Amino acid sequence: MNDNKISKPIVGHGNYVETPVENGPKTLIVHSWENFSRLYVPEPSPTCELPLDHLIVEDNANVDICIILLPGTSLRIPLVVDLVGKGSNVSLSGVYLSAGTDRVVIDIDLKHRVPDCLSNQVFNGIVSGNAVVDFAGKIIVAPDAQKTDAYQVNHNILLSDSARVNAKPQLEIYADDVKCSHGASIGQLDEDAQFYMRSRGIPLDEAKVLQMLSFISPVLGHIKDVSKRTYVADSLETAIRKML
Amino acid sequence: MKNDIMLQITNLHASVGDKEILKGIDLTVHKGEIHAVMGPNGAGKSTLSAILTGKPEYTVTSGSIDFMGKDLMAMKPEERSWAGIFMSFQYPIEIPGVSITNFMKTAINARRTSAGLEPMNAADFLKLMREKMAFVQMKSEFSKREVNVGFSGGEKKRNEIFQMAMLDPTLSILDETDSGLDVDALKIVAKGVNALSSPEKSAIIITHYQKLLEYIVPDFVHILKDGKIVKTAGKELVDVIEAEGFDKF
Repeated sequence: MNDNKISKPIVGHGNYVETPVENGPKTLIVHSWENFSRLYVPEPSPTCELPLDHLIVEDNANVDICIILLPGTSLRIPLVVDLVGKGSNVSLSGVYLSAGTDRVVIDIDLKHRVPDCLSNQVFNGIVSGNAVVDFAGKIIVAPDAQKTDAYQVNHNILLSDSARVNAKPQLEIYADDVKCSHGASIGQLDEDAQFYMRSRGIPLDEAKVLQMLSFISPVLGHIKDVSKRTYVADSLETAIRKML
Repeated sequence: MKNDIMLQITNLHASVGDKEILKGIDLTVHKGEIHAVMGPNGAGKSTLSAILTGKPEYTVTSGSIDFMGKDLMAMKPEERSWAGIFMSFQYPIEIPGVSITNFMKTAINARRTSAGLEPMNAADFLKLMREKMAFVQMKSEFSKREVNVGFSGGEKKRNEIFQMAMLDPTLSILDETDSGLDVDALKIVAKGVNALSSPEKSAIIITHYQKLLEYIVPDFVHILKDGKIVKTAGKELVDVIEAEGFDKF
C-alpha cells in the first residue's frame, strides 16, 4: 500500500469529475450504474479543503465517501448531494478528531429528488482543547421521492470544558412513504465504564483509549479495503493517544 | 485462629456527597476465609464494596483500610486490581464497542506490565480464555461480543465470574451477585467462588438473600445495618436471619 495515496486528498479522475473550477464549485457526476468510492484523509493543516463540494448521483449508482480528519486539521466541508436517479445508494461517513484551536465545519445537504434511493450518514467526532466543530446535516426528501431510506447519525464526545460542538441535524420530508431517521448526541466519556475497566486493572488512560476507539469504530466499518482501514485505524489510535 | 491478616478495616466512616453511609466499620479478613456481609437494603453493603474498590464518588471521611500490609486508600482502582482485589458488580456496566476478548487482554496485560512482565502471548491468552469460559459455561461466541451489551441478567453475572476466574484474585468481593439469578446460574457462581478458594485467598460475599450461602459456605457472617456491623457470628447466623429477618438485630 502506498500511504501517500491516502494521506492526501484523492481527487476523482477520469470521467467521474467535471473539471474543478478554481474558486468555483467542484462538481462530480456519478453516472448510472457507476461506483464511486473515496477515502479522504487530508494532511493536517489549518487550510485544507476537499476536492469536491457537489455530487450528482444518477440512477443505480453507488457512492461511498469516508472522511477522516486528524487533529491539526481545520477546514470547511460544504457538500451538496443530489440524488437524481432511482435506485442509487449513498454512504457518507467520517471521523473528526479535533484539538487545540482546530475549526471544523461540516455542512451537508443531501437531497433525495427521486424515489427508491438509500442514503446513510455516520459522523462521529471527538473534540478537545479549544476546538470548535459545527456539524449541520440536512436531509431533504422531495415530494416525488417515495420509498426513500435516509439515515443520519452524528455523535460527539467532548474531552474538555472549552471544546465546542454545534450539531444541527435537519429533516425536511415532503413525501409520505419514506423511512428517515436522524440522531445527534454530544456527551462525555462514561465514567462508570471507566471505573469498571479500572476495577479490572485497566489504567484510566487506557480505558479512555478503549472508549474512544470503540466510539469511532462504527465509521471504520465503512472502509472496505482492509489495508486502508488498518492504516486509518492506526492513525486514529496514535492521534487519540495524544489527545488524552 | 490464624494471624495472617489479608484485609483490615478499622473504624471506617464513608459518605456519598453529604450523606454518611458507613458509620464506623471494623472488619478483619484473614487469608483463606469467606465472609458474608448481610443486611437490609440501604444498610451500606454496596458502599462498602465501592469503597474497597475505589469508586470515585465515595469518600472515606475517617478510618483506615489495610490490604496485605498496604494502605488501600492510597491506591488507584487499577492498582487495587493489580494487588489482587476483584469485585463482581451488582450491576455490571456495558462497554459498547469493546469486545470481551479485547477487554480481558487489555486487563491482563496491564497487570503484567505493572509487574514488569511481557504481555501474554496470543496463544496462551486464547487458551486461558477458552478454559475459563468453559468453566462458567459461557459459549465461545461470547468472546466476540461487546462487554455486557445486550446480555441478560444471568449472562452479565456469569461474565463477572468469568472475569474473576481470568484475573484469579486474592480477595474476591461479590456484591449482590446472586440477585436476580436462577438456581442454575447461582450454582455456576458458587462453583466459581469455591474453585478459587484456597488457604491464600479470601472472599467477601455481600448479599441480602440466603440462597447463595447454601452453595458457598461462609466462615463468618456479619450483619450490616445502618452503616455499622451489628452482629458477627458463624454460618449458623444465616439460618437465624432466614427465620427471623434483620429486624431483631
